[in-house]
Amino acid sequence: MPLDNVIFWVFAPIAVASAIGMLTMKNAVHAALFLIVNFFCIAVFYLLLDAPFLFAVQIVVYAGAIMVLFLFVIMLLGVDQGVDLKERLVGQRSLAILLGLAFIAEIFLALRAGIGFATKAPEGFEVLNEGGNTQAVAKVLFRDYFFPFEVTSILLLVAAIAAMVLAARKAPAVTQAELDARADGQPADGEVDS
Amino acid sequence: MVGELVPATTTSGALGLLWLIPALPLAGAAINLFFGKRLGKPAGVLGSLTVLASFALAALAVRDLLALPAEQRLVLQHLFDWISVGRFHVGADLRLDALSATMILVVTGVGSLIHIYANGYMAGDPRFGRFFAYMNLFVFFMLMLVLGANYLVLYLGWEGVGLCSYLLIGFWFENKENAEAAKKAFITTRIGDTLMLVGLALIVAKFGSLDFEVVFGHAGSVLTKDTATVIALLLFAGAIGKSAQIPLHVWLPDAMAGPTPVSALIHAATMVTAGVYLVVRSHVLFELSGVALTVVLVVGLVTAIFAATCALGQNDIKRVLAYSTISQLGFMFMAVGMRAYTAAMFFLVVHAFYKALMFLGAGSVMHGTHDETDMREMGGLRRTMPITFVTFLVGAAAQAGIPPLAGFFAKDELLEIANHTHRNGVYVLGLVAAFLSALYVGRMVFLTFFREPRSARAERAHESPPVMWIPLAILAAGAVTVGWLNVKAEGRLAAFLESVAGRVPGDAGLAPLTLSAIAVALAVAALVLAWWVYGSGKVDWQAFTEGFEPLPTTLRNGWYVDHAYDVVVIQPAKEVAWLAAHVVDAKWIDGLVNAIGGGVKRLAQGGRLIQTGFVRSYALILFVGAVGILAYVGFRL
Amino acid sequence: MRTPIAYYLLLSGILFALGTIGVLTRKNALLIFMSVELQLNAVNLTLVAFARLHNDLTGQVLAFFSMVVAAAEVVVGLGIIVAIYRRRRTVDVDDARELRW
Repeated sequence: MPLDNVIFWVFAPIAVASAIGMLTMKNAVHAALFLIVNFFCIAVFYLLLDAPFLFAVQIVVYAGAIMVLFLFVIMLLGVDQGVDLKERLVGQRSLAILLGLAFIAEIFLALRAGIGFATKAPEGFEVLNEGGNTQAVAKVLFRDYFFPFEVTSILLLVAAIAAMVLAARKAPAVTQAELDARADGQPADGEVDS
Repeated sequence: MVGELVPATTTSGALGLLWLIPALPLAGAAINLFFGKRLGKPAGVLGSLTVLASFALAALAVRDLLALPAEQRLVLQHLFDWISVGRFHVGADLRLDALSATMILVVTGVGSLIHIYANGYMAGDPRFGRFFAYMNLFVFFMLMLVLGANYLVLYLGWEGVGLCSYLLIGFWFENKENAEAAKKAFITTRIGDTLMLVGLALIVAKFGSLDFEVVFGHAGSVLTKDTATVIALLLFAGAIGKSAQIPLHVWLPDAMAGPTPVSALIHAATMVTAGVYLVVRSHVLFELSGVALTVVLVVGLVTAIFAATCALGQNDIKRVLAYSTISQLGFMFMAVGMRAYTAAMFFLVVHAFYKALMFLGAGSVMHGTHDETDMREMGGLRRTMPITFVTFLVGAAAQAGIPPLAGFFAKDELLEIANHTHRNGVYVLGLVAAFLSALYVGRMVFLTFFREPRSARAERAHESPPVMWIPLAILAAGAVTVGWLNVKAEGRLAAFLESVAGRVPGDAGLAPLTLSAIAVALAVAALVLAWWVYGSGKVDWQAFTEGFEPLPTTLRNGWYVDHAYDVVVIQPAKEVAWLAAHVVDAKWIDGLVNAIGGGVKRLAQGGRLIQTGFVRSYALILFVGAVGILAYVGFRL
Repeated sequence: MRTPIAYYLLLSGILFALGTIGVLTRKNALLIFMSVELQLNAVNLTLVAFARLHNDLTGQVLAFFSMVVAAAEVVVGLGIIVAIYRRRRTVDVDDARELRW
């Protein structure tokens, strides 16, 4: 049994399971952790697909930066003890699952009609990765896609500024309860009717 | 004969100014409409002057027309292109021939006298100026009616005089009865007008034109007998309405609610004669269909007798004259039905004089007795209102047919033609009608002017001012002398009208002198009878009349025709109207519209529930769409 | 590489579907956001798989860009969620329902 096959068939179920786990956890922190597991699996897949650079970037950026940010915010806001899982919208959950299954079926059929389940990867990929995958990617990135690269750097700058602007403290906080009470015309507890 | 007339080539002088004849009253109407209030009394002067000027112009035009040779007595004047659609063209054209010449002289001549009279009668009325505006407007439309060279201009005038009649009958509209009478007049004539319009449409369909020259020139080749009958009867329907013949006569007695000058001008001398003019003008069509002429004759005869009986039973002096007008119009249609067009036109001219005279005289009586109209409350007025008495007497005698007054010649000729064309039934019934005419006219005179006053108002009566009795005198003079126009059946008027109306029918029968003697004898007998009952004092006429009950009441109610119409036509129409308003409109149509609106509302109220506010619902629908599109694309491939 | 590429594609499809179900089902804004990240990752996997199939590094570059943009997006998105929390004291998306009938 070829090695990549084994690795694939080990990590694929883990990836799906961790994704399902993320969906079903009540605790937000637990869900985030499951997602990190999922990201690791995907990183492995990148490796299997001859993209070692992305393997590293995935772990560093996604698992390392993005998910850490998520955990920061979850614990900062203190919303880890989640709202109850009872669904108030009628049919939302069942419809969502149904549609998800339909989607998977469509992809399956499309693949079967398209490239088929037998096509293996062609052989010539090592030529591209000559001198290392990172160098090859760098060549493509800084030559053919130089302009999007620059634009992306501006995008990152904008994102940073946006985060600073959003974080600035402005109006005093209003809870949903207070909002509802105001809508009914009576002052909420603690509020003064002005 | 028609068709042998050739239009005159020179149109100089008065003939070239033909358009001015109707234009002058129109200008007068416009000025009085806009500035009448500011003008005050001069408004009446202006109104009278325009019609007088029209009369002068008309007289000059007729004189010029007579100067032309007989085959060329036709003047056409094209004012502008009115309708031009495809191959259908109608121009605003005026036509002066012998027939229209006669009419314009009557309309403007008698009309101007009535306008002068109205200056006195309507003095002090708050809407004095507007009255003369309406009267001038009426004269304009009437002139357009008779001067039209095609059926459309005629119809314009036809409708216009109907409008003015409505405006003038309901002039004192503050009184609801007057408004009702005006409505009744308009709606009743409308029935005839609509049928006439259908006739006009048929003419357009058959001839492609409404021009008199075209229609009458080609009628023989284009129309079958049946089509001609239909068209003729439809046109006659319009005449029945306008000239108040049976069965559309009911509006004329009620129209007496209007001011007396209106009754004199419109409902005696001019508008009601429009029907006679129409039939005489269209006689080519009527002659093509023998049936139509018979219908005209029968309708005229029946109306003449029927209305005469009703006139006998009226106590209101104006209503007697109204029924009398209906009856005399019946005589005119009788003449037309016998192809005696000249006799009909002669009768029309003569009748204009003595009927207008009697109406204005009645107005004078009302003026003098401070608006008393019930003859039973009058009496003895010959002493207090001598001028009115004498002129009225002349008019009455003219109607009764006493020679040498004009009415004698006209009536006599009519009966003579009946006899000479071997229509003995018509002749006898005509004599009956003539007898009744003399009878009710005598009753009117004796009740009003003779014996002693029977009420306080009659006692205090006074004569009318000169502005009112001078026109009376002129009309009386006319009633006496107009007879010379056509002393014999083939007199001057007959010669004048021959170019339009054709020869006088009839070959032989009783000698003319015998016929005249019979007619005069009957008239005198009727007058003597009337005098004996109402004027001599030897008979208590109240008891005498009551002895015949229920006949007098039936006569006074016009043989209950109005009641019959009310039951058969008006109440059902009101029911239908109520149904239409409250059921069809309020329930069905409104219901449908409201149902549609309500349906949309319900749809919207259901639809708005999509806007749940939950982002996740929207996302779900997004996903549904995405999956759907994928499936579609997948299946396509 | 013996595994057929289609398997990777199917796997990424499954992960994408799971991510969508997460977006539709969870109420916590942060968890919804995490599901979105899952979706993005699934797409990245698809890109890289196709890059391998077509012998073209463009797919990997695209996936790289996607990650960069995802990072920026997470920054801004979390900033928004924090701002909303400050105002409303909640991260429950069902509480943001003023725009309803």
